[in-house]
Amino acid sequence: MEKYINPDKLMTMKDAVQKFVHDGDSFVFANCLTGMPLAAIHEVIRSGKKGMMVFQQGGMEEIDLLVEAGSVDRIALAYNFRAGGKRITTPLDRAIKDGRVKVEEFTNFTLVSMMKAGAMGYPFIPVLSGIRETDVVKRHGFFGDNKFGEVEDPFSKQKVLVVKGHNPDFALMHVQRADKAGNGQLWGAMINSKWAALAAKKIILTAEKIVDSSIIQSSPHLTIAPAHKVCAVVECPWGAHPSELAGHYDYDMVFRALFLGSNGTAASMKGWMDEWIYNLPDRAAYIKHYTDKFGVELLDKLRAKPFLSAPADYGFTFTQEWDENNYSAKFGMTMDQFVKHLEEKGVLIESAGEEK
Amino acid sequence: MGVKYTLDELIVYRAAQEIKDGEMLVIGQGIPMAAGVLAQATHAPNIVIVTEAGIVGLKPFKVPLHIADTSCTRGYTYGCDMVDVFTTILNHEYVDVAFLGVGQIDRYGNVNSSYIGDMDNFDIRLMGAGGAPEFVGYAKRTVFTMRGGEFVEKLDYFTSPGYIRGGTTRYESGMPAGSGPSILITQEAVFKFDPLTKEMYLAGLHPGVTVEQVKKKVPWELKVADKLEMTQLPTEEALGLIRRYAPEISMGRKLQLEALINQVFRVLAGPPKG
Repeated sequence: MEKYINPDKLMTMKDAVQKFVHDGDSFVFANCLTGMPLAAIHEVIRSGKKGMMVFQQGGMEEIDLLVEAGSVDRIALAYNFRAGGKRITTPLDRAIKDGRVKVEEFTNFTLVSMMKAGAMGYPFIPVLSGIRETDVVKRHGFFGDNKFGEVEDPFSKQKVLVVKGHNPDFALMHVQRADKAGNGQLWGAMINSKWAALAAKKIILTAEKIVDSSIIQSSPHLTIAPAHKVCAVVECPWGAHPSELAGHYDYDMVFRALFLGSNGTAASMKGWMDEWIYNLPDRAAYIKHYTDKFGVELLDKLRAKPFLSAPADYGFTFTQEWDENNYSAKFGMTMDQFVKHLEEKGVLIESAGEEK
Repeated sequence: MGVKYTLDELIVYRAAQEIKDGEMLVIGQGIPMAAGVLAQATHAPNIVIVTEAGIVGLKPFKVPLHIADTSCTRGYTYGCDMVDVFTTILNHEYVDVAFLGVGQIDRYGNVNSSYIGDMDNFDIRLMGAGGAPEFVGYAKRTVFTMRGGEFVEKLDYFTSPGYIRGGTTRYESGMPAGSGPSILITQEAVFKFDPLTKEMYLAGLHPGVTVEQVKKKVPWELKVADKLEMTQLPTEEALGLIRRYAPEISMGRKLQLEALINQVFRVLAGPPKG
């Protein structure tokens, strides 16, 4: 896989999508339900990219948006929220019926397992075989024979259900904080994040906040997107709205209801998408439109109160081998004695030639 | 004076009684989470609540919108991920009880939560499998709740494995010995599964419901227990807890949606002037 080593990958959302998202790509969300990269999704929609395939673990609004925009035409899907009963159709329902999109059904575990195998570089991985008689396993859509397989366990000789490893072209991921090299730190519900991020060939990372690398270096256990996999870093406050993000904001149920209320017809969806996606250049404008329309109080009500994690102490004595007197307690000698010792043992090599 | 309760509150109260202290539970949003909260606050303080988001040992603060929202992630004890929950916890049979809301169910407790009507020309596309197939497949017991779903001879789509074709077929297809659905709680009644044939039978009735009313909704010849249990009414204490933690569950889906829509209209009218 390509290694991304640029120490400064900060760019605008527009540039990130223009540069790294292409028609026909496959991609995965490295968030599930919570902290969804919705600002990035809106930019993907604005960019007009078409014909993509998406792996979706579990979602609320993003699939409906992407199919309505025509950005994706194939979805590997484990769970997708819908409101209402028979009378209500969603953009996904209509797109399936019209043949604009094909869905392949998975379970949460089998979908995340495809990512885990891909992340580990394995061709396939065992899953829980007890689901083998369900239609999830037995019925195939556009994955065809690549959906499930069975292999014989070479040790017990039992049949084991397996799924294939996948490496999507990119992952979209939103996190609480990152440095500009792209070390992304996420906390709260981790769900599929690690495996989806590591399965992808590259990660387009958006973060509520860009922080100094020293913050990352004092909390490396929180880094879930390692810089070498991250191709672009975008600073994006409120980047997951209307979903929630631990430490930043709650989900926005009233706004979501407004979206769901617009779901019923193509015309009402177009109205919603024009207002909240196409007619706005970026997330800052989206938040401004929100506060202009509803008042800043509605947004302020969502802001999180702190619940701080106890810091993990990475301390040690911070002494090197040599103490303040250049003495090593381990070897029982000073630096001078050490050099003399090397001399006496005949391991020091004298340079042969003259300086040029 | 008798208690006044909603049907959803009755189902939550009955479901909570299926939880024993010290058990490990996998629960999702809605009625199951409310039942878990209620059990934890009353007779089962030492339960371990798990969601497939990788959240273990959570103390629900309110009924969450979904299994990973920020009301679930304050003060839990083990933050792992989805792979860990399904493998290191579920596959090693640590999970005592899974809870699942049902769209369609057959006589052996197999469940559809994917499509109503034929998959290729569906009437409704439901939310999909999510974590249900593995949880129902591997938890020691599963508690089903059904609100507005239906009993069918044949599922439109087979999402989650109950007792497959009855008898021992579940275990022959690879699920842990002794595991399986234990109860179904609907808006009218309580159903259990025969220990040998694994066929569902009527085990109890909610107050005011007759056997005939229940039978009308079941397309096969429903077996009925010799002695039917009568669903206990929720206590005042339980109702207080449910309403504090989960007012949206007390309301039920329809009233909740109505209240939300009214609020949207108020918000759309714009910020208060002046």
